[in-house]
Amino acid sequence: MKTFFKAIGNLFRKPVTTRYPFERTYIPNDYRGVIAFDEDLCIWCRRCEMACPPGAIVFSQDMEGKQTYHYNRAVCIFCKECVRICPKEGALIQTNQPATFALKEENINNGWNSLFDEAIKSREAFAAEKKRLAAEKAAAAKKTAETK
Amino acid sequence: MSRQYEIPVGAQHISLLEPLHFKFTTENERIVNTTANVFYVHRGIEKACCTKFKFRQVSFVVGRVCGLCSISHTTAYSQVAEKLIKIEVPRRAKYLRMLVIELDRIHSHLLCLSHVAENSGFEALFMKTMEYREAFMELLEAVCGNRIQYDFSIVGGVARDLSARVAQMIRDRFKIFKPQLDELVDIFQNNWSLSLKNKRAGAITVKDAMRLNVVGPFARAAGLAIDVRNETEDLLPWKEVGFKIVTETAGDVYARNLVRLREIYVSLRIIENVINGLPESALITETKAFPDGEAVVRLEAPRGELFYYAKGNKTQVLERLKIKAPTFSNISAMVEGFKGNEYGSVPAIIASYDPCLSCTAR
Repeated sequence: MKTFFKAIGNLFRKPVTTRYPFERTYIPNDYRGVIAFDEDLCIWCRRCEMACPPGAIVFSQDMEGKQTYHYNRAVCIFCKECVRICPKEGALIQTNQPATFALKEENINNGWNSLFDEAIKSREAFAAEKKRLAAEKAAAAKKTAETK
Repeated sequence: MSRQYEIPVGAQHISLLEPLHFKFTTENERIVNTTANVFYVHRGIEKACCTKFKFRQVSFVVGRVCGLCSISHTTAYSQVAEKLIKIEVPRRAKYLRMLVIELDRIHSHLLCLSHVAENSGFEALFMKTMEYREAFMELLEAVCGNRIQYDFSIVGGVARDLSARVAQMIRDRFKIFKPQLDELVDIFQNNWSLSLKNKRAGAITVKDAMRLNVVGPFARAAGLAIDVRNETEDLLPWKEVGFKIVTETAGDVYARNLVRLREIYVSLRIIENVINGLPESALITETKAFPDGEAVVRLEAPRGELFYYAKGNKTQVLERLKIKAPTFSNISAMVEGFKGNEYGSVPAIIASYDPCLSCTAR
């Protein structure tokens, strides 16, 4: 009988669920959200790339040696390992913003995989170029030493 | 001699939460024989852990083995890796690990209880239990920063600290939750229509439980006092924070419900003790050592004993990682428990086993 009256009373009570698209759900202040990057503070040590478990961070490099930071919010698992390992405070920070949805136009899986491979290749190319230049320089130095 | 019928349940069925398949041989609605096929999923996580990921990253990979006992897997792996690289975890990290494991246990038990209620045909209780569980999801989100994949334990310690504000939030929520839990216990114990489906359903005896190697609440409901928290003290100081083993004797669905409910009381007490007596120390022990040798770790996950074995070879990548999830031990007893029951009580029995087969097949 008690249950019956309770059930009738429940008809007039507010729902316990959140009306999600119209209301914001509970998000704590220190929610694990997307990673923000500060290019001015970065010392380009690439430790975050090595620490990242899913491989959501990669650095590409052009022929002058300038590195560019790439980050994929859809691959990221928001574990904060990159922030924890970062030797320069403030270069990488974890915001409390949830990641936005990935759209079809972004081609976030295949596009990211090819970008990842290209980035690794660009770094290898730069390293090879550097090695070649160093070898040339050494050869030139040897030649000048021999002529003397 | 009555006729026998075979009734298949699964691999997709409305009362199943997991991909498993049962074939019941019934005689006048009574189950006389059961066969089970459980390996519908294979995810290759162990192989990935030994080839693709460095040993520090593996703790995030094994967190994805199970959605409900994510923290148990991460902690067990962290402990086994700490044994391999021979470091001692700070005291505060140990306490925080216990805190999150117990919060996780409460929400996992509430989920299981709600599914038992739903599969017994008591939809309103299912909704009520799920509503109360939501408070714990929010607490976990406040503590770990995420609702499901906590990523809280890392090799050497824990990733985040517990702020005073969050600790106060936990205390406030507990004040609301305690009367709610009493109400749940009252319903699960005294509701007549629920007792029709739960009492004497899916019962196994202590002897069977011991013979079939049952673990977790399943074993404790049958009267087998087996709990890793009761046995080991070296990795996490359970006794210090007031752990007490909970057992029942009947071994049926009703007893399993009661074991889970009473374990929630124990977990609440542990969490309160952890928050009130949180020691001050660093959160993480840093080291540059590489894993070497072999190690074994046991940990009490919400469903029972979780077992981790790891072997290192002085490189970044582990040589072998073996995960044995609690449901793996329970499968043979799960088949045994159906014998002599009516086919109509099967959904409630399956839910009360709390199977986690995606864990089992890693």
